[in-house]
Amino acid sequence: MMNLLEACLPVAQARPNNAMVVATMGAMFALDQIDAKAGQRLPGRISSVPLMGGAAGLGLGLALAHPGRPVIVVDGDASLLMELGGMASVVAAQPAQFLHIVIANGTQFSGLANLSTLEPHFSFEGFARAAGYAPTQTISDAGEWQRSFPGLLQLRGPVLVQLQVEPVPARTVDGFALSEIPDLQFQRMGQEVAAMREWLKVAV
Amino acid sequence: MSSSPVQQFSVPASAAVAAMQRNRVDHVVTVPDWVQLALHQRLEAGVPGVRLVNCSSENQVVTVGAGLVIGGKRPLLVMQNQGLYNCINTLRAVCLDAKVPLVFMVGQFGREFDNLGQPSTASRRTMVRIMEPLLQSIGVPFLCLDGEQDLPLMDEAFAMAEQQSGAVVLLVSAPMAWA
Repeated sequence: MMNLLEACLPVAQARPNNAMVVATMGAMFALDQIDAKAGQRLPGRISSVPLMGGAAGLGLGLALAHPGRPVIVVDGDASLLMELGGMASVVAAQPAQFLHIVIANGTQFSGLANLSTLEPHFSFEGFARAAGYAPTQTISDAGEWQRSFPGLLQLRGPVLVQLQVEPVPARTVDGFALSEIPDLQFQRMGQEVAAMREWLKVAV
Repeated sequence: MSSSPVQQFSVPASAAVAAMQRNRVDHVVTVPDWVQLALHQRLEAGVPGVRLVNCSSENQVVTVGAGLVIGGKRPLLVMQNQGLYNCINTLRAVCLDAKVPLVFMVGQFGREFDNLGQPSTASRRTMVRIMEPLLQSIGVPFLCLDGEQDLPLMDEAFAMAEQQSGAVVLLVSAPMAWA
């Protein structure tokens, strides 16, 4: 089974230059980490943070505004469970280039306390297929995911890929203390929205 | 023939569409609202230049609307009061924290006809009565559409939303007219 960084690597490094990315919190941190290691951050990424369940809707709005650009939504399983009906909204609007990735690790507060999601074995792929996404796929091998990514982006969507990802190990033990959440976490969505608007204006 | 009390406060759907077009609205993102049924029917029949985007929850209405605005479009978000209550956290994230300008048109579902022309805070129904105080408490400006004469407030709402980089709510008081 792949880890979180392997799940996010193709999105960080192999996406087309004109792609727009929306990520939930776990993916956001992983993408940040990959970008920092590579010493560069591609433009066109916003985070649905702190806002669980918002990623697919943001991505759909971007896709409707710019049908000529690919949209990649990197969702989390716990987040998507909060707005499962959003998959029906995506299908109803039929965005042409819409790749919806679900990081399925069966946990929430992953890498911190690793609480179980409501249904750790929920089939997002099955739900997406029933909603009308086509094609849909479940991938657990990092190599297969890396090889499949460019081709999946070429398909007329909406496309859903459920990635089976091992949870980031929990850090909480007796004596563990939570640190304060930095201001940036409440400000970055606004900063990224402003940057995305500027980027789209420049690059359109 | 004298008009009914409701008719005095009713916005004709055709006039609402004209106000949308004057404001260059290109998408209506919605979970349908009983109060604005006449408008929904017009939109479903097709309005040139306006794409109707139906969502399955009001949270999605807000996020889809935000994506459209970020992408340079000019959506109007249409829902009812219950729907606005449903999506307060999304409104908080998108409009209050991320400062995305969005205009909401919200029907006051459940408003008693004898409350029309009176303060909505005097309504017997919680759903209606708490709306204005709630919006005040979270710092979201609102404007009341108490009839066709108030439709220029839509222009004001779009200007305010842009200027203040946030949400502005148009409260629709009475059922819209099929006209």
